[in-house]
Amino acid sequence: MSKITKSSTAEYFAKNLQQVGFSSPLKAVLTTLKEAVDNSLDACEEAGIAPELKVSIKKVGKGSAKNTDLIQITVEDNGPGLELSDLPQVFGEYLASSKFGRGQCSRGQQGIGISAATTWAQLTNAAGVKVMSKTKKMRKAVLATIDVDIKGNKGLVKNKSTVEWKKTHGLKVDFKIDGRIQLNGDGGLLTYLEGTTLVNPHLTLEYDLLDNDKVRVDRVSDDVPRVPPSTLPHPHTMKLGEFLTHAHLYGNLSLAQFMKKAFSRVTDNTIKDCVKNGLPKKLTNMVVKKIPEKEFKTIFQSIQNTDLANPSTKSVLTVGEEGLAKSIHRIGEVDFFSVVTRKPKICDFKPTVVEVAIARFLDKKAAAEEQSVQLLRFANRVPLQFDKSACAITRAVESINWKAYGLAQSKNSLPLGPYVFAISVTSPFIKFKNASKETIDASDDLVEELRRAMMQAGQKLSRHIKRENKAADLERKKNHIQSFGPALVECLGRIVNANEKRKQRATDGLIKILGRDSKEAEKDLKAADARLNILKDKQSAKLGQVVGKKAKEKTESEAPIKEDVAEPAKKVTAKKKVAKKKKSSAVAKKTKSSSLAKAKKKAKAKKKVSGAKKTKVKKKVVKKSTRKKTKRK
Amino acid sequence: MGKIKIRKLDKNVQRVAENLCNEMLDSLEKAQRPILQATKCSLDNSIYRPSKGYLVPGDKKVTTELNVSSVQKLSRTVFLLDIMLNNLKVGTVNSTRELYYMSKGLTKSDPKLKALAFSEQSESDSIINYITHLLEIYREEINCHAGDSGGKTFSKNLVVTETESDGTVSTVDLGAIGTVPFQPQNKPQQFKLKPKKGKIDFCLIVESESTVNTLVTNGFTKRNNCIIIGSKGVPSNGVRGWCKTIQDQLDVPMYFYGDLDAYTIQNIYRTLKAGSAASLIRNSDFSAPDVRFLGVLPSDVKKYDLESYDVSEKNASDARSIKKAKDALQNDPFFRDKKNKKISDVLRWLITQKVRCEQQALFAVNPKDPHTFEKIILDKIKRKDFI
Repeated sequence: MSKITKSSTAEYFAKNLQQVGFSSPLKAVLTTLKEAVDNSLDACEEAGIAPELKVSIKKVGKGSAKNTDLIQITVEDNGPGLELSDLPQVFGEYLASSKFGRGQCSRGQQGIGISAATTWAQLTNAAGVKVMSKTKKMRKAVLATIDVDIKGNKGLVKNKSTVEWKKTHGLKVDFKIDGRIQLNGDGGLLTYLEGTTLVNPHLTLEYDLLDNDKVRVDRVSDDVPRVPPSTLPHPHTMKLGEFLTHAHLYGNLSLAQFMKKAFSRVTDNTIKDCVKNGLPKKLTNMVVKKIPEKEFKTIFQSIQNTDLANPSTKSVLTVGEEGLAKSIHRIGEVDFFSVVTRKPKICDFKPTVVEVAIARFLDKKAAAEEQSVQLLRFANRVPLQFDKSACAITRAVESINWKAYGLAQSKNSLPLGPYVFAISVTSPFIKFKNASKETIDASDDLVEELRRAMMQAGQKLSRHIKRENKAADLERKKNHIQSFGPALVECLGRIVNANEKRKQRATDGLIKILGRDSKEAEKDLKAADARLNILKDKQSAKLGQVVGKKAKEKTESEAPIKEDVAEPAKKVTAKKKVAKKKKSSAVAKKTKSSSLAKAKKKAKAKKKVSGAKKTKVKKKVVKKSTRKKTKRK
Repeated sequence: MGKIKIRKLDKNVQRVAENLCNEMLDSLEKAQRPILQATKCSLDNSIYRPSKGYLVPGDKKVTTELNVSSVQKLSRTVFLLDIMLNNLKVGTVNSTRELYYMSKGLTKSDPKLKALAFSEQSESDSIINYITHLLEIYREEINCHAGDSGGKTFSKNLVVTETESDGTVSTVDLGAIGTVPFQPQNKPQQFKLKPKKGKIDFCLIVESESTVNTLVTNGFTKRNNCIIIGSKGVPSNGVRGWCKTIQDQLDVPMYFYGDLDAYTIQNIYRTLKAGSAASLIRNSDFSAPDVRFLGVLPSDVKKYDLESYDVSEKNASDARSIKKAKDALQNDPFFRDKKNKKISDVLRWLITQKVRCEQQALFAVNPKDPHTFEKIILDKIKRKDFI
């Protein structure tokens, strides 16, 4: 028999880097960037700091492997920084994580990604990652190179020094790796950065990619999301084996006490229900460690058969409809959109929240009528960019009949049109298909939940589309009357040799007949307008946006066909705001919407609007020349 | 100069059309919506009469009421009707393509008619069909015909005598024109057919015109006392009418030979033999119910070891064709009738076996023998191996 050897975790990953997202030079760049950004965002959020990230990706030479470039990836954050002693563990040791198995919705979980990036740098460029870190306590920043000791699965600190850094705290990583750069498309760096901005409204991001202009995207929310602490486990999220192990930790308590203390959503009433569902009553007062092992299956089954409240929403972090609504405007000029944040549900035994944002972008409108929608997938607020077809999100989108909501679609494929579908799944335990976390496993539970969320968003979207269709229908009908009516009478007149008087009478009659049809179309349009306005009122009350109002005014005053219904907040100038306020108050007086509750609601919405205006959306393009000038200063 | 007629029509087309337009104008004057009714030419209104052997229309009608959605169709209908009635009045005949271009010119030059412009010929063709369904007449009866397609005919023993509308009589001896084919036109023609001597043994209609050319080049018509016709895919009105004339005048066994696939059986063979759902009102004069299906038959694939290949449901077009075949078995009265059980069984066999075989597979049975194709065809006719 050949000799059995033992290898370190680092050795395993060093030989199987493709499993963690380093399967090609193209993916290596994206994965490295992704891991660095994820770590920075997690660190900032944990410390309650609004993240401000600077990303730079440059070609600095030729790569060591054939057909590759040497790429420098720098990510700088304003997070709490790391102590020198933590640097080798974080950047050079596999499975060293502060988050593993904690049941939180953080981006990173296992402590593999960034160490894999260091390994890739080491394997392709013979040098690990250069890290500069400063905590609040430090006077000067520490600068060091971290390598991975592959045999021992340890981080090695090299070239340690201290340097001046203006920042009070923060961290900067600098990778030089073999890779290739793709900016656009599904696996593109820009797609990643846009996606990250979308689901992180509190993020200010500055990026400098290749020779392109430097771009700064300011935050639209000052609320730093606190990753909620993990809650007690929900009984429905457990398997029998886990239940047994968990029970042994509470051996001295009675079963009823154990159930209430060790699980969330279990109350006295729940225990009564469990008894109804087969839990032997005598066991409830028995001390857990005295309950015979064989009884645990009965106990477990009775709990599984009992309806419980959904797991606590506290353990699941959401971006929120308001955040998504604001953030979506940072990607481009939005024509209209709909956002949905579902309540947490149990999918695959774990609490899961699905959020959907569907938006139509003006700049994509002309080009993308015949193209599939752009699908942005997120898992715990991290964009997923590869292996789209096998993902639960894609499956769910394709399984919906989007034609019902007014979008073009071939059977079982993505719908068509200039839309962006951003779909986010958040859960403390997302079932990924692989270690590189590119695809979410398509379980029936999750796909169904995704479908429901998307259908909800689709319903909102369909009101906009239906209104547009009705308006187009009315215009088409009016056009038909004008163009075909006279031609019909003319040709009939020729065949029967009718005189001008008879033709005129027929023309009048025709206009009457077709006029009735267009009146019906006008009625339909008004009804569609009303339905859309109700939706917009709800939306603006809920999201504190200017979103619907402007469009509402437009539709009320005979809006032109195919009207924009949502304008980005940044576009509303001060003058317009005043005019709009006057106009809206006038409209309010006219319509005499007297209900007090309604008025309160409106006032609340207005307050929110002004709040939204304060956090103006900015997308500055800083020219290189100006950057140089400030440097000199 | 009398026009050549396909059938005896007991209505005055001009008057019927003018009455219809008068009623429409009357309704408009009263601000009432004119309502038009046309024969429904679709499968769900098709009835197969085994005694007649072709599809006839049922009682269903398509009702079109004037509203903003139908005003385009109705104004285009009246526009083309005006041109066609004028043709009828002056005795001019135009092809469907010519009508398309004529309408183009008229709509471009007259601002009142500008909106009626057709962007493709298929649009004007469908309006012409609607007019014929509306008036329940043949296209040819309103002085319009489609472009010629298919029907190249070869024989060494057939003499065709044609009488033109002005009374000119011309005789064509198909055996005396060398390799030049005789081709019927897609408009009413008056033929008198007779064999040069004796009786013609059979008439073979082949799906592919190029295969017909090859057979003739190899001397098929020199060795056999027969008529051979290329249908060129789905047979045009001209080919269908020509086959009916041969059937009616020569009393000769007629066979069709084409691919072994659902499309050939459903669209080509069925149309030749029993007409189509789209042409319900003219199937009586444009179908040849005596035509038999000679092949390729499923048994031929085994017997002659023909090269066949799989139809894959993963392929969109194949999947569509399988779906259509299933649909035909369920809904097409021709295939549902027990008289046509054998050909329906072939269709069923194609659906279950998911294979197809090209008509040209016969050439590959023995590549060293240029007459293999002919030998197999003759063998099949001799053995009465047809449906």
